Amino acid sequence: MNAENDMSLLSLISGASLPVQLVMLILLMTSLFSWWYIFIKVATIKRAETESEDFENKFWSGGDLNKLYESVTAGRRKPQGMASIFEAGFKEFIRHKQQGRMEVSDVMEGSRRAMRAAYNRELDDLDAHLPFLASVGSVSPYIGLFGTVWGIMNSFRGLSSVAQATLSQVAPGIAEALIATAIGLFAAIPAVIAYNRFASSVDRLSVRYESFMEEFTNILQRKS
Amino acid sequence: MLRKHENTDSWKAGGLAIAVHVLLLGAMLVSFNWKAAHPVLNVTEVELWDKLPAAKPVLQPQPKPEPKPVIEEKPEPKPEPKPIVEEKPEPEQPKVDIALENKKKKLEQQAKIELEKNKKAELAKKIAQQIREEDLQNNKAAEKQAKLDREKALNKLQQDLLNENSGADTKTASAANASIIGEYTEKIKAKIRGNVNKTLCGDGNPELRFDIGLLPTGELSGPPKLVKSSGSAACDDAVERAITASQPLPLPTDPAIYAKFRSLNLRFKPNE
Repeated sequence: MNAENDMSLLSLISGASLPVQLVMLILLMTSLFSWWYIFIKVATIKRAETESEDFENKFWSGGDLNKLYESVTAGRRKPQGMASIFEAGFKEFIRHKQQGRMEVSDVMEGSRRAMRAAYNRELDDLDAHLPFLASVGSVSPYIGLFGTVWGIMNSFRGLSSVAQATLSQVAPGIAEALIATAIGLFAAIPAVIAYNRFASSVDRLSVRYESFMEEFTNILQRKS
Repeated sequence: MLRKHENTDSWKAGGLAIAVHVLLLGAMLVSFNWKAAHPVLNVTEVELWDKLPAAKPVLQPQPKPEPKPVIEEKPEPKPEPKPIVEEKPEPEQPKVDIALENKKKKLEQQAKIELEKNKKAELAKKIAQQIREEDLQNNKAAEKQAKLDREKALNKLQQDLLNENSGADTKTASAANASIIGEYTEKIKAKIRGNVNKTLCGDGNPELRFDIGLLPTGELSGPPKLVKSSGSAACDDAVERAITASQPLPLPTDPAIYAKFRSLNLRFKPNE
């Protein structure tokens, strides 16, 4: 707590008390993870958007549905997004048709259920990690604040043992403590922004999937 | 933790996440000046003296009295060589001689002064030694009386030593100081007068007296104390407000003269 202390970032972190250092470590880890998830989600959501765009183009180009189904299932990769919904619905529809002697409404109901299940799986994939980002965004400022409060408490307790209190005796402790809040905010702000962005993209995608489901059901009903 | 279809992106995303953190850390290290700048404090040392400083005047005035006799004595020898106009080469010699003589005189004078001082100092030392020896023996009342006498003599010698050197200079200095003090008290009064609301003090010519303490910066060290009221409380308040409003007050830069302003008894006539 000398005035001669240099206030470099490293000395501030190493000079902090153990709980504050622990808080900083936790926050650093959460920040790293949230950024990792952010980049993963950016990539996956972007891919889902382009894939559904491509599939809609292919679907509405007016080709044969059987050919489309074959091209979708031909790939080694499991179909994703809108393609997987189409695949599930069309598979169920073909199966019911092959069994024969089924009511149209039952066939439609079965393929609808299959599409709904595929849709739920897709949505679950899209929603993955969003709760983590939400909780990082709301909790990490509090964790940082906890570290700061702890650090300030310590520096004031140190001050009480000194006869003549000067600002230079408290300042390094408070600066140390405030770093915890800074890290917490640094973790929280991108997480909140990313959460909001991803939530809206997922909503738009789900609306797109649902409308595709409705339209595809209509087409299947016309075919049966 | 990760979905199957996310595995392809995980490495890239991890690298990017670390890159973001490194980037931010770098930005922080570069943009902030983390080294705390500690301005050099203006430390003023204060020495506390029990008595008035005796050593200083002894040291300073010594060189001054010596050059003065040189100027006084020069004009005397010059007129002597002038009457002898006919002998041209010769007048130079007497000049040299005179100069030499002058120098000798000066040297002798200096030597005399120093000798006297040395003698006195030696006397003082001897007496001091005797006193010490006697202290060690420490016997009879008669001797104590003698000791007292000698101590008096010692004090006188010391005072003589001091007076010889400091007497004249301190007088002129104090006169100069007095004029500076007067000048600055006038400045202070003028500054305060500019801030007084004179309508509150009426048409007469009331006199107030305030005791004010001043810091070296010209600011008040405490609230001004009213010593003598003008008779009307409104006027007293107005002047007090004016004194606080006219901070910083003009002060001499010389710290020795400032000492006179540390607590100032201010006679103030607002309508003057």
